[in-house]
Amino acid sequence: MTTETTQMKPPAPPITITKTQEPSTLDVSVGPQHPGSGHFRMLIRVDGDYIVSVDPDIGYVHRGCEKIAEYRNYVSNIPHLERPCIIDAIHLNWAYVLPVEELQGVVVPPRGQYISTIAAEMNRIMSHLYWLAINAGVFSGHTTIFMWAFGDRDLFIELAEMLTGARLTYSFLPPGGPRRDLPFGFEDKLSKLLDYFENRLVEYDHIFFSNPLVVSRAKGIGVLTREEAMELGVAGPVLRGSGVKYDVRKVEPYGAYGDVDFEIPTFEEGDSYARFLVRFEEMKQSVKILRQCLQKIPKGPIARKAPLVAPEGEAAGRVESSRGEYTVMVMGDNSDKPYRVKIMNGSFRNLAALPFLIRNVHVADMPIIYGSLDYWPVEADR
Amino acid sequence: MNQATPSKEEETISQLKARFPDAIMVAKVDRPHRVTIHFEKNHLLEIAKFMHDELGFDHVKGVAGIDHPTHRKIEVLYFAGSYSKPEIQDLIVILKAELPREDATIASAVSVWPSSHFHERETFEMFGVKFEGHPDLRKLLTLDNWEGPPPMLKDIKFPEMGQR
Repeated sequence: MTTETTQMKPPAPPITITKTQEPSTLDVSVGPQHPGSGHFRMLIRVDGDYIVSVDPDIGYVHRGCEKIAEYRNYVSNIPHLERPCIIDAIHLNWAYVLPVEELQGVVVPPRGQYISTIAAEMNRIMSHLYWLAINAGVFSGHTTIFMWAFGDRDLFIELAEMLTGARLTYSFLPPGGPRRDLPFGFEDKLSKLLDYFENRLVEYDHIFFSNPLVVSRAKGIGVLTREEAMELGVAGPVLRGSGVKYDVRKVEPYGAYGDVDFEIPTFEEGDSYARFLVRFEEMKQSVKILRQCLQKIPKGPIARKAPLVAPEGEAAGRVESSRGEYTVMVMGDNSDKPYRVKIMNGSFRNLAALPFLIRNVHVADMPIIYGSLDYWPVEADR
Repeated sequence: MNQATPSKEEETISQLKARFPDAIMVAKVDRPHRVTIHFEKNHLLEIAKFMHDELGFDHVKGVAGIDHPTHRKIEVLYFAGSYSKPEIQDLIVILKAELPREDATIASAVSVWPSSHFHERETFEMFGVKFEGHPDLRKLLTLDNWEGPPPMLKDIKFPEMGQR
């Protein structure tokens, strides 16, 4: 039996690769899959192993947040306006509430500002750990850091649950101030976690950021110069990775950021590795901010009552979210619903850099560059 | 003392007013860090070029549309900011133009501010504002098979989402 079948099988034809002289490019549709952060499609034109150009096709997770916001009252808007980036919910919530408070003339008491700042910085660490696990770790094939960062992120999530009652979508900051005071024992737990996390950051450095495999894959890949970054108007860690010292927490301090001492990490190289390092250094600064907030937090009321309506007028508030400057313009019209809400976020602005960076690179470099942007499709599509 | 040293916000306004006395209708400081300028829509490119080249406002943070069906007009807002000049990094200058609702057309600022590329595409799609001279004015967020009027206009409602 065996002899019969082996005789009947013809030998496999030889594989030959021929390259045509004239147009040698091929258009490939990448997606719309879920590359770790939301559905997104890129149309790439490849020449052999090189990407010639890329056309980002977004909108697969567009749900009309701005339109929906015109039909909900100011408080009901909070849960759905933080949905675009659930791993960064405090910042999205805060950016929306700032202009509403400005229109209503409500001032949050100092203790409320500190609690918001603590929640926001914990959220920044969680968001950067998610990025480190998925967009940096998995995309560069480094599964150890994926496990480590995701595990440590859960410790922060548990503390966030203790503070706000929810793991990810907190709806913690209605107009007027945070919903809850710090629970009993929270300060101790947070400072213990920060001690642990600072030691872990050293280990992250050893296994990932100083790892020669990671360095060789990310260094010099996807370079965005300082001038390009400014002209394209990118935001957040992408901007600071290109050497522009700009952080909303410093240029227009909100919350308790005026009282605490921290630095803005910037790197001049502008490559994917520089953007990696910006986020790594930002986590260290967040630890520093959290420690100072725990020390300096004043006693007193946490929130004031805010009216349900907002008067006529426009206000634009902004925060530094994990993905860059998050600006929200709210227009009131003397009713309990906003007339118009406009969201300008870091992901949508960093999209401008994507066709610029994924060009004349190997196909294998595409996930690294995409991961280094920390692009969140849902946030961009709104 | 305030008169001796005008604030950054007032200085930006006076520079713009001195250069474009006719094109700028209203210019006011909303609060510290925020300036709103109402301008005549045909002068967008000149104002943008002046702000970019001489005042140092090198990028836009966003382009917004606001629909006012009762006044038959659509407002277009450019949120300009600066990265290159540290002393004005904290300012957001909001440039505001009024367009007739029937023929909402304005020049595209992409040639001056490349950062407005995707924002203008979005405003074109959501409000039907035509940006003349935009290199690639296509739909961006809605699906390819979406047919219909621009969805963010106030008279377009989605009853299935509770919008009446």
